[in-house]
Amino acid sequence: MNIGNLRIELEPRLTSPKWLYVVVPVGSLLCAFIVGGVFLALTGHAPIGTFALLIDRGFTSTRGITNTLGTATPLICTGLAAAFAFRMNLFNIGEEGQMYLGMIGSAWAGIALAGHLPGFAAVPVVLMTGALTGALWVLVPAVLRAKMGTSEIVSTLLLNYVALNLVNYFIFGSRGFFRDPSTSFPQGRLIEESARLTSFGSTRTYPTVIIAVGLAVGLYWYMKRSNYGYETSVLADSPNTARYAGMNATKLTLSVLLFSGALAGLAGAMYVVGPAGKVDPGLLQVGLGYAGIVVAALARYNFMAVVLTAVLFAGLREGGASLQISTNPVPISIAVVLQGAVLLFALGGEVFRRNRLRVRRVQQTVSV
Amino acid sequence: MNANVWVLTFADAFSIATTLILATIGAILTERSGVINLGVEGILLMGAVTAFLVGDATGNVWLALLLPVAVGAVMALIHATLSITLRANQIVAGLALVIFGNGLSQFIGKPVEGKTRPVVIKALDLGPLTDLPIVGPIIFGHDPITYLTWVGAVVCSLCLNRTRPGLVLRATGDAPATVDAQGVSVARVRFVHTIIGGARMGLAGGWFMLARGTAWSQAATTNGIGWIALALVVFAAWRPLRAIAGAVLFGFTLQVPFTLQGQQINILPPEIVQMLPYLATLFVLVILSTPRARKLLGAPKMLGQPFVRDER
Repeated sequence: MNIGNLRIELEPRLTSPKWLYVVVPVGSLLCAFIVGGVFLALTGHAPIGTFALLIDRGFTSTRGITNTLGTATPLICTGLAAAFAFRMNLFNIGEEGQMYLGMIGSAWAGIALAGHLPGFAAVPVVLMTGALTGALWVLVPAVLRAKMGTSEIVSTLLLNYVALNLVNYFIFGSRGFFRDPSTSFPQGRLIEESARLTSFGSTRTYPTVIIAVGLAVGLYWYMKRSNYGYETSVLADSPNTARYAGMNATKLTLSVLLFSGALAGLAGAMYVVGPAGKVDPGLLQVGLGYAGIVVAALARYNFMAVVLTAVLFAGLREGGASLQISTNPVPISIAVVLQGAVLLFALGGEVFRRNRLRVRRVQQTVSV
Repeated sequence: MNANVWVLTFADAFSIATTLILATIGAILTERSGVINLGVEGILLMGAVTAFLVGDATGNVWLALLLPVAVGAVMALIHATLSITLRANQIVAGLALVIFGNGLSQFIGKPVEGKTRPVVIKALDLGPLTDLPIVGPIIFGHDPITYLTWVGAVVCSLCLNRTRPGLVLRATGDAPATVDAQGVSVARVRFVHTIIGGARMGLAGGWFMLARGTAWSQAATTNGIGWIALALVVFAAWRPLRAIAGAVLFGFTLQVPFTLQGQQINILPPEIVQMLPYLATLFVLVILSTPRARKLLGAPKMLGQPFVRDER
């Protein structure tokens, strides 16, 4: 790009200095807060005071941070789901729907199976069932992608709307298996007591947070060290190389998408064994599946970083929720605005990590 | 049930198709230049909320349709800057736009949530034509923007296939290096068409709010129409004229659940019927990905690939 006689060029860096890995995300966050602040000011809220309250309710107060960890638990899972698929250039954006199906599947297991199981097995079986139904929900887009090359982007997304209507049908549209038969009020039937976890003390943090963090660490280690991790990254970088080396692209693609769906399903299952205890349409309002995509992108698809960004985003959400009940209520959607803005800035900022900005003076050349 | 209901359903299908045509051709222009913008849903929502707010504040229909165009263009400009100048991942940038638009429309629309729409785009009265049986309501019972959209689609098609700028646009999506060698700026072509595309998407959202919506509610306004438009791009094989046919077809599947509900026909529960447009879209995508269909489609060859001159 030329401005006057200055030429501005992006020059690829061979190595990025370490400090840029910190400066770019932090800078994106600051820029997003500035954008959010502008919209707050325009709608008649004091930006600084609002943000201070948001940070207090989301992070620094004891109740705030424990609420945040509770929300972060499923968000870590949807974040891992997105990171796992996106780093292979498989853009599964159906985490939202896969999470709903995980909720439905785990609630089924919690009602139908848990009573017949020994106590120690109930929770694991319920969680596994949720992961399984989440994976099943992505099966059709995964097979289409692996066998015929159908873009998984639109197909996974369309299924979100189908899943949304499915949950509504089970709770509002029918008086079936998932609905509480004891009342005419439309709500889910509670799962067996043996399949539920209790939170730590009086907080809203559940032991599932340990599983979520454990999964992040495990995936980080496994994808770095295993043959499978190596093969998938070769496939992502160069499909032709992978084919030449005799890797089975169809199988790898299928497995990546199915596992991604399972992680998203697990998020729904964690919601069931933890705070909800039933198929709860309340989950539809939260958008943890979509937020998982942002969390993963901001973490640059690094599994360990997903944990950090998930806690950050959960805190924004919790803080945002508490702003609604202050004296001059701020809509909770400010949290979503901030999420979108953070991602936009991080994407732009990424370029400055990978490239160096060069400004040169150019001489006017006269053509002969 | 009487035949009149189905005539009205078809009339509604043509009406919904307006949004789909506007958004789909917007996406076609963007993708023909080699940029993929997945942010359609976010731009539609921002267009819709802008139309509502402007209509609420001024009471002027035309102003309420003009500002969404500008908002759509600005959002597309963000996408263009990220994906063309900064060479970010276009898929993720588009998703970021959806999330941003989703949050922002909810945020600025909060004060008017649940309020009924302030201004309405009135249908044209074409006299005796509108009174014709069957054809009257289906073809001659719409508002000016709908007719402009149809004309616009034809003009787009002609420009794309019969003019030099159209040739340059098609070449930019297929072989940017050639365009560059001809001395035409690839970045400029891509910027212009991404922004024009976004402006059309903004109008699509604004029109939908004022013509089809009843009250502003972020959750119920566009309801995935942006994603259906993206599937329509494939269905239309990146050709503007085919987008009209596809849009009417999809408009029909979107309208049928409401007709059935209105007529109290309960063959299937309403929640299940509401899944049908999305399942139908998915089904069409599956059909289109058979190898035979794919050969006929012809997606822009460099879709989603940033252009860097030094690499050639």
